[in-house]
Amino acid sequence: MWKFLLPMGAFVALAVLFAFGLNPNRDIHALPSPLIGKTAPLFHLTDVMDPARTVSNAALKGQVYVLNVWGTWCVACRQEHEALLDIARQNVLPIVGLDYMDQREKAQQWLTQLGNPYTAVGFDTDGRTAIDWGVYGAPETFLVDGEGRVIYKFISPMTPEVWQHDFLPRIQAARRSGA
Amino acid sequence: MKPAAAALAVFLALAAASTPMHAEPARALDDYGQLTNPALQARFEHITGQLRCLVCQNESIADSNVELASDLRRQVREMLLAGQSDDAIFKFMTDRYGEFVRFNPPLEAKTLLIWGAPFAMLLLGVFIVYRIVRQRSRLPLDDEPAPGSM
Repeated sequence: MWKFLLPMGAFVALAVLFAFGLNPNRDIHALPSPLIGKTAPLFHLTDVMDPARTVSNAALKGQVYVLNVWGTWCVACRQEHEALLDIARQNVLPIVGLDYMDQREKAQQWLTQLGNPYTAVGFDTDGRTAIDWGVYGAPETFLVDGEGRVIYKFISPMTPEVWQHDFLPRIQAARRSGA
Repeated sequence: MKPAAAALAVFLALAAASTPMHAEPARALDDYGQLTNPALQARFEHITGQLRCLVCQNESIADSNVELASDLRRQVREMLLAGQSDDAIFKFMTDRYGEFVRFNPPLEAKTLLIWGAPFAMLLLGVFIVYRIVRQRSRLPLDDEPAPGSM
């Protein structure tokens, strides 16, 4: 009995391990965020378009919003830009941008030429806001509920499908729960 | 000789042409010197050597050249100068980047598996060897060549 069960058990264990470890759809660089369920870090930054204006998520208390981390150096951000514009047109919620490791003039040019999906874009000069949010690349997209808690983080370019499947249901649930 | 020289010229031209494409507007990394207090500098080196750079993942932030690592080194430096403990700095990092940021995660309930697995494997191996040895020692000593055969 053992002669059969032991190798069989070992085989099943290996098969499960490989199914997980060798899954081509798994993004090995996408790490779970410890921020999920916690209060979103506050930030006060200058607006990319108008340095005299302040962008802060304190003003968004009571609203479900999205924080999208991007930069003009980031090819995948260019790739997701159409999707963000499309989402902005649906007018579901405020999309706040966080311009990360960037130059202001380049960012302004990007938004003027490609269109601006953001309600406001904070300019993270020294990467401190990014550190607070546990950002380690771009694009990264956070979803924050009305009580100011981070409820979801998506690492990869945004697509209409991802928005449909991963974001909209969570937004609706967050709004239903009164948050 | 001639084709070789031509090939070299083409290669050099290509190399020259491709260089500007990599020349990103780089910001000087870590534009400050060592910490003046040697004890603090030693702690700085220890902590940054224990924190994973999440962009390159197998390099510590002490070794990595990417900007995130530079930003995190600055963060560690500032926290040290502000008199924060090593634990406070590690907690700051794990609160934001998760346990994965530490190369040497502390032994606690949720990390028990990664710390315990090698010992569990060792015990399993010892058990298997023990069983095989005991089984074999019970076999009759009949593997001596029978007289007359070769």
